[in-house]
Amino acid sequence: MKGIVIGQYVPGKGFFYRVDPRTKIVAVLFLMIGTFLLNDIYQVIGALLLTFILLVIGKISFIKVMKGLKPILILLIFTFVFQILLNKEGALVLDSNLNISLINIAFVIGLFIVWRLLAKFKKFNFLLFIAFIVGSIFLFANVTISGDYLFTSFNFRIYEKGIEMSIFVVLRLLIIITLSTILTLTTKPTDLTQGLESLLRPLKKIGFNSDDFALIISISLRYIPTIFDEANKIMQAQASRGADFSEGKLKDKLKQVISLLIPMFIIAFMRSEELADAMGSRNFIPGKPRTRLHILEYSYRDVLVSMFTVAFFTIALLLRINVLGY
Amino acid sequence: MGIRFNEVSYTYNSFSDMEASAIYKISLDIKEKDEFIALVGHTGSGKTTLAKHMNALIFPTSGYMEIFGKKIEHKRNKKIKYNDIRQNVGLVFQFPEYQLFEETVLKDVMFGPMNFHIDKEEAKELAMNAIRLVGLDESYFERNPYNLSGGEKKRVSIAGILAMDPKILVLDEPTSGLDPAGKRVLMELFLNIHETTNKTVVIITHDMDLVYEYFNRVIVMNEGEKIYEGEPEKLFRNSALIEEYLDYPNSIKVLKHLNKTLKLDLDVFKKTADDVLAEIKKAVK
Repeated sequence: MKGIVIGQYVPGKGFFYRVDPRTKIVAVLFLMIGTFLLNDIYQVIGALLLTFILLVIGKISFIKVMKGLKPILILLIFTFVFQILLNKEGALVLDSNLNISLINIAFVIGLFIVWRLLAKFKKFNFLLFIAFIVGSIFLFANVTISGDYLFTSFNFRIYEKGIEMSIFVVLRLLIIITLSTILTLTTKPTDLTQGLESLLRPLKKIGFNSDDFALIISISLRYIPTIFDEANKIMQAQASRGADFSEGKLKDKLKQVISLLIPMFIIAFMRSEELADAMGSRNFIPGKPRTRLHILEYSYRDVLVSMFTVAFFTIALLLRINVLGY
Repeated sequence: MGIRFNEVSYTYNSFSDMEASAIYKISLDIKEKDEFIALVGHTGSGKTTLAKHMNALIFPTSGYMEIFGKKIEHKRNKKIKYNDIRQNVGLVFQFPEYQLFEETVLKDVMFGPMNFHIDKEEAKELAMNAIRLVGLDESYFERNPYNLSGGEKKRVSIAGILAMDPKILVLDEPTSGLDPAGKRVLMELFLNIHETTNKTVVIITHDMDLVYEYFNRVIVMNEGEKIYEGEPEKLFRNSALIEEYLDYPNSIKVLKHLNKTLKLDLDVFKKTADDVLAEIKKAVK
């Protein structure tokens, strides 16, 4: 539960903190569309550099954004690997036979055990894992010992286009995630919903109530940490009655899950009832117009952000049309 | 044996870079038997954090502790069965809502013993005794714990821990939210458990009357640090400490007031109402 940065506001002072949330939402939306319009690897690298420049301008620590990438790291690796393996266009880069044989397999298993043992002590768990994978592929490809029993062998081919596309896709994902992280890192959830509400207001004409929608979103966002907190407390209360989630058999664990869920629900209902009472006693009436404590205002920063967005989007569009044109 | 804190600090980490220290370098010895300890201090002084350490619900950020011979350090040790520690040290939480979940009171109280693989009939027996012990009669056995009043819920949650028959009992504000009569009943119960079984009981409380009257050792916490440890008798004679961090019990307050307004010279350190009366009678004569 700790260290989740995606969707987490981190208080700070920087350029993007003082940009109007509406501008930020629209800008991120268009920058993302713009990124998807790019279809050349050099353009994407350029866009990535621009994104990093944005980070520098906003004084957002690169490490924080990278930490936010952790949950989707597996997704990135999967897209990368599948692009490389499945794309069969362009010139051949690597062509070799993978020989799966008895000694090779035994050696790889040995390597795996060594990796598991090292993983306990090393911080560079992930790098070691990559080294392990690359090492075993190398082993399969190049080492054949006479007298070894061969199970099977297959062709391992990597094409130029495959490498290009895999890098392209990963970079594109990286840009999009960085952009959305900039938005959520620098915008308070309340500002975000206020911005959304204000952007969705025209939809009122077709019967969509943006006020209620924004209220629902902001209350749910507000209560995520509270619910985590409560769950933690319940877990501790049950653990002190001998229901520790990290010990015990599966059968016991099922019962323990129930002992967590029921108080969770009851507390959630109690909380919402209390909140409704508290809002009611302060004269909150759904749908009635209200004044705001913080009124959204545009400043020169919004103009700058909008200009950048329009420029980026137009260039992306022009590049796309151009490419289609010749 | 018992519980030993060795320079234990605990830090809550938060999303921003600030780190809030909940307790700081606490060293403490709690014997397995014959202790009746009060843990007092302002809200936010680290009392609850300290209590949670006592049955290894949270682990020290630095320093270490020993609970019934098992060493608890910053990292979870796979060789240690933490459930055993919780059977030895029973902790009752401040808010009963966090632990009640079964459809009847009896089943809920049985949950603790059943987790320690005591068979059903025996667990039922233990649970029934525990419920009677906290002052609830048979009519409560089949009631839904969520339909009880706050004070009754509290008693059920205490019964839930008592049924586990822990060697040391730790209670986080067991008397908060109870009426004065209920408070007395529960305090008498804890004292009774302590006296008949010699079990060590640790109670977090804000009630100075209770502290003065019942306990034989007080630990005073302030902003995560232990600022006093010893007999309540000596604590209440330390006027500088009391006036800055705590409050006098009512008996002392009354006698002090009499001394001040009537210019008497009474001995203010009297525990019970009868002692106070005797002292006043002496002065009247």
